[in-house]
Amino acid sequence: MRGLDSLASGVSRSSSDLPSVLFASPAMDLEPQLASITFATNNPTLTTITLEKPFCMFNVSIPKNVSYQVNLYVMVNSGSIWNAAVKDNRSFPINSTFQETAGGQTAPYKAASFILPPCGDLPNLDKVGDMSKIAEIMSTYLVRVGDNTYCLLDPNFEGTCNPPLVRATEYRFKYVLVNTSSGFVEDQTLWSQPIQTNQISPYLEIDTWPGRRSGAMIVITSILSSLVFFLLLGFVAAVIFSFVSMGSSDLETQHESQISQEVVPKAQGTLETSYSSVNRRQSLDQAEVYTSKLQD
Amino acid sequence: MAKGDSSVRCFQGLLIFGNVIIGMCGIALTAECIFFVSDQHSLYPLLEATNNDDIYGAAWIGIFVGISLFCLSVLGIVGIMKSSRRILLAYFILMFIVYAFEVASSITAAVQRDFFTTNLFLRQMLERYQNKSQSNNDDIWKNRGVTDTWDRLMLQEKCCGVNGPSDWQKYKSAFRDENNDADYPWPRQCCVMDSLYKPLNLDACKLGVSGYYHSKGCYDLISGPMNRHAWGVAWFGFAILCWTFCVLLGTMFYWSQIEY
Repeated sequence: MRGLDSLASGVSRSSSDLPSVLFASPAMDLEPQLASITFATNNPTLTTITLEKPFCMFNVSIPKNVSYQVNLYVMVNSGSIWNAAVKDNRSFPINSTFQETAGGQTAPYKAASFILPPCGDLPNLDKVGDMSKIAEIMSTYLVRVGDNTYCLLDPNFEGTCNPPLVRATEYRFKYVLVNTSSGFVEDQTLWSQPIQTNQISPYLEIDTWPGRRSGAMIVITSILSSLVFFLLLGFVAAVIFSFVSMGSSDLETQHESQISQEVVPKAQGTLETSYSSVNRRQSLDQAEVYTSKLQD
Repeated sequence: MAKGDSSVRCFQGLLIFGNVIIGMCGIALTAECIFFVSDQHSLYPLLEATNNDDIYGAAWIGIFVGISLFCLSVLGIVGIMKSSRRILLAYFILMFIVYAFEVASSITAAVQRDFFTTNLFLRQMLERYQNKSQSNNDDIWKNRGVTDTWDRLMLQEKCCGVNGPSDWQKYKSAFRDENNDADYPWPRQCCVMDSLYKPLNLDACKLGVSGYYHSKGCYDLISGPMNRHAWGVAWFGFAILCWTFCVLLGTMFYWSQIEY
């Protein structure tokens, strides 16, 4: 655990103190760890879980002429996890696949295998900003479970298939050290703590109602409504006022002047025209009365 | 009211000044609303897809009201100078109609501003982005509009999702149905691109290594321009209405004093 913890915080700590913990603890006490959350922020996702590679985990004094590889086994977290075996009777690692184990539900399956990263070869996570080094850093530091989306669909696929995991499911992981020349399992870590893939919530649950109204909306609505009311009130008042003032003084004089203006020309007109005019109207009749009066 | 009186002349001058201001504000309102309707940030598809683009309706009313206010202010000035009751009566009636429209425009803009919440755009994005289900032409049109707008927005503005990239991970979405999580934890547009618009490092982008994906949400870039414009339509309209209210009351007083 100590070795992993120091690696997880390797962003801040220098790697010079790592050799001191290098062979301090046997792999029997260690377990695979989730990749540093400060480095890989999107982890775990819905169908993938990204782990740290086993740096300095296995207590082996590596001879120069022997190469080792590490197998990663994945199993759904269940009660039978402690009985799950990753090597057969003759100490060979098992090669069960994703399909054979129903996605790790019945037994562990081999999700990946890679060459044991040398202990002194720790990636420097400070250099992630360097575009030329990021790919190398990621491949040496991380192993992404559930990365390969095509191997299940490809009937001719050979090698270790690492298909996407299932959502909202807890998984456990185990690293196994295999001697490539003899093919025997030499060491293995513990099963990791259960790590759960994310689950998603439906978007229909998102409430789009704005909730409280803003003060601006209330101010504008109330003031404008009352302004319209006062405007109409003012118009009514203006109309009434103008009628009242018209009726009081101006009305009578205007009426008289209108009558005098209308009547006189008509009276003169009727005087000029003869009474035998065919289309006599009411006004003419009135004019006749006036003319008769005038004649008197 | 005696026409030659100097106080009457002064009052006439005030009313004419008020109308000149109304006319100028009318032109300004039209200009502002045309700017809003022209959709400089190309965000209209997002509003259209919410079935709630009333704020654009408010801006269209604003254009009409602005022109009308300008014409009516000319009518009002003529009516006041001639002291004609008939012209002023026509001025009042037309002004009431325009006033009512502008009240509607201003209130609509103010009300709709409140609806621009993060959740509104979040839900719409999840529902419509890359949604290829063929339900009807209207939906297809809107889905395409939303998809194109989001693609452009995320690429150009260097942002991702409404609140951030995690929106694509937290919620079920049409995008999630369309793409598997391992390859597309979020759209490719969320990755930091090089000059050829290829992701700097795709795996780092998928894992969310800082510097290789856009961690910022797009909400501010959507709601910012819309809120500003709606704010302008609402409050400028409100200011014009307050001014017009005073001028109209003054003109009514003047009108009631005119002799036949």
